[in-house]
Amino acid sequence: MCRTGQEPGPHDADSEHDEKTSTAAFAALLEDSVEELYENAPCGYPSTLMDGTIAKINTTLLDWLGLEGEAVVGRMRFTDLLTVGGKLYHETHFAPLLRMQGEVRGIALEVKQADGGRIPVLVSSVVKHGSGGEPLLIRTTVFDARDRRAYEQELLRARRAAEEARKQAEADRARLQDALAVLQQSLLPATLPPVPEMEAAAHYRTASPDRLGGDCYDLFPIDGKRFGFFLGDVCGKGPQAAAVTSLTRYTLRAAALHDPDPVSALTTLNKVLHERYTGGDPRYCTVVFGILEPVSATGQVTVRLASGGHPPALILRGDGRADFLPTPGGVLVGVLPAAPFSTATTLLDPGDTMVLYTDGLTEARTGEDRTILFGDEALRDFTAGHAGKSAQAVIQALTGLLDDFGDGLDDDTALLALGVPADGFHPKTTA
Amino acid sequence: MSPLKIITRDAPTGPVLEITGDLDYTTASELRNLLTTLTLQPDQRLVLDLAGMTFCDSSGITALIAARNHAHSARADVALAAVPTPTLRVLRMVGLDQIFPLHPDSHAATQP
Repeated sequence: MCRTGQEPGPHDADSEHDEKTSTAAFAALLEDSVEELYENAPCGYPSTLMDGTIAKINTTLLDWLGLEGEAVVGRMRFTDLLTVGGKLYHETHFAPLLRMQGEVRGIALEVKQADGGRIPVLVSSVVKHGSGGEPLLIRTTVFDARDRRAYEQELLRARRAAEEARKQAEADRARLQDALAVLQQSLLPATLPPVPEMEAAAHYRTASPDRLGGDCYDLFPIDGKRFGFFLGDVCGKGPQAAAVTSLTRYTLRAAALHDPDPVSALTTLNKVLHERYTGGDPRYCTVVFGILEPVSATGQVTVRLASGGHPPALILRGDGRADFLPTPGGVLVGVLPAAPFSTATTLLDPGDTMVLYTDGLTEARTGEDRTILFGDEALRDFTAGHAGKSAQAVIQALTGLLDDFGDGLDDDTALLALGVPADGFHPKTTA
Repeated sequence: MSPLKIITRDAPTGPVLEITGDLDYTTASELRNLLTTLTLQPDQRLVLDLAGMTFCDSSGITALIAARNHAHSARADVALAAVPTPTLRVLRMVGLDQIFPLHPDSHAATQP
């Protein structure tokens, strides 16, 4: 308090006492002791000569270092406070920058403590110049960056953890895709068996690589003479649909061995699906199931098939005709406790090919609107252009058509062609 | 694509669901969820009025079958009204035209 020389004001004793107290508090707030602020500021203040010799250092920094002032001032250089790495960086970057620019800000270094520890710090330095512009000394502030370093390390750790998690997720995804691929393959024959005096070809296209498909087909021997075949489309997508597809495939194969009549096979499948899936989550499929029986004397093959709500088979004749083999009235398999199935029979002459397909093909979008679809008539016209060709050639042409649909292909598509070669006996198969 | 909207109203024959918009893979669950909340009395007729339905894929067909199963489990009946031509073509293909009673409009479908 400094009221000396002033007239006593119009205060009583109490109010004077109050004023003294508040002024003292205010002085404390004002940091009126610059020396005290310098010594105990929340950062280190070393000042060095231009050669680096420490000329002055505050208590805060000495405390961090665990050193006494006498051991440092005039005896150590600033670089003596740094770790070996810090020293190197100081000499190669910090000091040259400081000489060139007169100041350096926020450089991360490490200082050594007397007990062998080290503290990460952020260092800023400014060169103080004399009145003639000559450099006099270097003023430096040293901020404790331990918390910041810990934070950075936490970030690094989190990044490594995220990296690990990402790698794990990728590995999981790859494993899942392998599993899906194996399951998908169990829904389809790896290769089609050779059928005497016939040629068979198939194609399967999933609309999405990580979605298990709901289409299936198969071709298998029933006895020494006859072969069974089917092609179907299970409602829905994903694992649930794949489970139905699997059930469908193996039920039909087993049913055909028991009784190869097409309607019997579909009836068995209908019973199995209907019992397994009822109520609010109906699962069903559309299937064409049939039997091939060669007529040895003529080189022809008799086809007897039954359909449960499936698009009709296309028969491509060697003379260039293409006709649907209508199977109206058959109901999807699995919906009714006892469903009617419609049957059809045809005779394939040498040069004829039967094509089975799922509606992914006929319902491919060919316009902007998703109600503009490829359609049955367009399919018949397209395949008529390939009538007389081999089963393999027909499948190749249809595969090209699917390629052309591009994004218009919303659904999985399965194709199976069974043909009687025109020029005699050519047992060939291609999956 | 137009969003699916389902309005439920009561007719003397039972509930009528007016289905407007696209009934497809993304929306069919709305119809199926609604069905679980729908109480039917024996011998009532659940009518699905499809006059405003703009698109129906196989998931939509599945939802129609779920509606039929729901009605039958309550010993009620089901009928479709005003089936749009493309959907009718699909129903014929898969044989469901033999299973669902079809009516030209909801008025005809709600006659006792």
